[in-house]
Amino acid sequence: MKRQPHTGRYLIAAFLLAALGIGILVQIVRIQNSPEVAGVINQGTQIWKDFFPPRGEIYDRHGSLLAGNKTVYEIGLDLTVKPDMPTVLLALQMSGIDLDEVNYRISLAPANAEYIILDDFISVDKAEKLMALQKAAHGDPTGKNLDAVYFKAHYARSYPENDLASNVLGFVTEDNHGYMGIEEKYDNILAGIPVRMLVPADPRRATEYPTIPPGETIILTIDREIQASVENILDQALVTTGASSGTIVVMDPRTGEILAMSSTPRMNLNDYQSISTVFSGETPFNRAISEAYEPGSVAKILTMAGALDSGAVQPGTVFFDTGSILVGGFRIVNWDGGAWGYQDMTGCLANSLNVCLAWVSSTQMGSDSFYSYMQRFGLGHATGIDLAQETTGRLKLPGDSDWYPVELGTNAFGQGVSVTPIQMVMAASAIANDGQMVYPHVLYAQIVDGKQINTKTQIVGTPISANTAHTLTEMLANGLETESSAALIPGYRIAGKTGTAQIPLPGGGYDQNDVNATFIGWGPVDDPRFIVYVWLEKPQSNKAASVVAAPIFKQVIEKLVVLMDIPPDAVRLQMIGR
Amino acid sequence: MNNVTQIVQKVRQAPWRVQRQWIGLFLLAPVLMAMVAGIYLNVTVRATVAGREIQIMRNEITANQHINADLETQLAGLISFEDMQQRAESMGFQPASLDDITYVDVPEYVAQSAVDLSTPGVTKPAAPVILPAYTESWFDYFMNQQAPSTSAGGQP
Repeated sequence: MKRQPHTGRYLIAAFLLAALGIGILVQIVRIQNSPEVAGVINQGTQIWKDFFPPRGEIYDRHGSLLAGNKTVYEIGLDLTVKPDMPTVLLALQMSGIDLDEVNYRISLAPANAEYIILDDFISVDKAEKLMALQKAAHGDPTGKNLDAVYFKAHYARSYPENDLASNVLGFVTEDNHGYMGIEEKYDNILAGIPVRMLVPADPRRATEYPTIPPGETIILTIDREIQASVENILDQALVTTGASSGTIVVMDPRTGEILAMSSTPRMNLNDYQSISTVFSGETPFNRAISEAYEPGSVAKILTMAGALDSGAVQPGTVFFDTGSILVGGFRIVNWDGGAWGYQDMTGCLANSLNVCLAWVSSTQMGSDSFYSYMQRFGLGHATGIDLAQETTGRLKLPGDSDWYPVELGTNAFGQGVSVTPIQMVMAASAIANDGQMVYPHVLYAQIVDGKQINTKTQIVGTPISANTAHTLTEMLANGLETESSAALIPGYRIAGKTGTAQIPLPGGGYDQNDVNATFIGWGPVDDPRFIVYVWLEKPQSNKAASVVAAPIFKQVIEKLVVLMDIPPDAVRLQMIGR
Repeated sequence: MNNVTQIVQKVRQAPWRVQRQWIGLFLLAPVLMAMVAGIYLNVTVRATVAGREIQIMRNEITANQHINADLETQLAGLISFEDMQQRAESMGFQPASLDDITYVDVPEYVAQSAVDLSTPGVTKPAAPVILPAYTESWFDYFMNQQAPSTSAGGQP
């Protein structure tokens, strides 16, 4: 057989091609299985990335934004490319960025640092100026460019209403932690969790990027319009009465929803660094929940509620007031030092007679029954309101080392016992709400996966019967009408009680110069829609709560009936009758 | 025997043909490998382009979220209570007082209730769907191609 002339060449070509193919295959397998090469590949294809999820927003009950987010920038510098520092610093200065902070951060950077953060929480305006300068200097042949400057956008908290409801909201610091109020209480659900992790740069692995969930949005029970009105009234009240501080709480007694809660001072939440100057010393951030005080005669409504409910007295029970009574060896007298003669229980409340209420608690009820009712009303225990920094107050009980028998008499008219305004509001809700005491809360709803989950009304106890609640409400309403209280507004029937309380001194005894003036009331009497608590600390224009606190209450409910669309009783009952 | 030899000789191919067939078979391997590499490259490129688009869209989503947050906050500032009150007062309005209001009985009137911020028809975002072609092996691919297709409810 004769061999073809080019067979040898074909064979060589085939062999070479086969060898090449096999060589490529061997190389591919070697590269893919080499740990060293795999390490080099991974080093280049994985990058550190920061994920900053937005913090959950906070709205009022009608959808007005109370706390949102805004974009700010972290400005960084890549030192590996040896940037021209004078150029960088000049650009920062031209953009309005504080060079003191920048220089301080540079001074802290280690000598071998490859990247430093020049400044953080830079506003969009300043960052955009710097970006424009960077763009203009890009490609500068002399090397005086800003290519080494990096921008990293992230969120910062923003409060569009500034100081509105600041005592309720609290604030968020630059490390994304909430402090005080709602921001602290719900920090775990509001704060998305910033994550810094290695992610693949390889686009084919883009789906491996983690999904960082944003913080949950929440809706408060607060009504922005009512809150603003209440704050305005409170600010004016401090001016007109000369009080050192004040607190107003508005709650729906049927649900426990806090419609407004204001105390002084307040701060612009966008400038939270000012907290140390605004709340100097031991000033509480929110007096309504964090400051316990002896409430005085407003506590008489709880004493009378217990006495009526236990059957110790009836509304028509008559007491002969001689002007003083001995309890535990101490003489208790009335606020005016006078004797008021024969009084029924309505008169005792309307005239705020200490002697009468001390008689009710010590003689008619006894300590077991009295303190049992006080505990049922929640005194001495935190209400559990969903705001940070709540304090409990103090209800001393028989058997406590510092309890004395006289306190059975003084506690009946709100001295020797300390409560927070929110505790009193919760306790009084039982009287306004058919004997059922509601849990006060600020969270109306939270948005989870796009769905709104509303907070349900919680009844925390039924300290008195519905019948007792109605009877006492009638007695209080009649009392206000009898004395033509400054708390009343025409067309609406309101129940309420004043309280002018002495202030205990740290070393014992009571302040002879200053008092706490309080008013608590609710209405309309037949279908209460609001319960309002007014507390003025150390008013100077007049010390009587009926003179300083009652008119403030009136101003608040004048606003409330308008903002809550509550017609006068006659009109409302006429509408219901149809 | 001669007959048999003659028949074999008749059907036997020329040696140079046999050689070419062997060479052709030998070359088929690199050609097949080149085809596989080509397909692999094509799939990889498409996956890379899709992945890059995902990255770009993610960045756009993040940027839009920042813009939305800024706009929401700016809007809230513009309609804040203080600003709205000042604007209303400058236009000659004043807050309504008790005496300004006349109540009228309107049948079927529904009083203002609290806001509902639920997103209408919201569903949880589904996990990203990746075509099997991007994840399965060649072996899986061929096996899936060979597997008989089934249809539900196959009543005759």
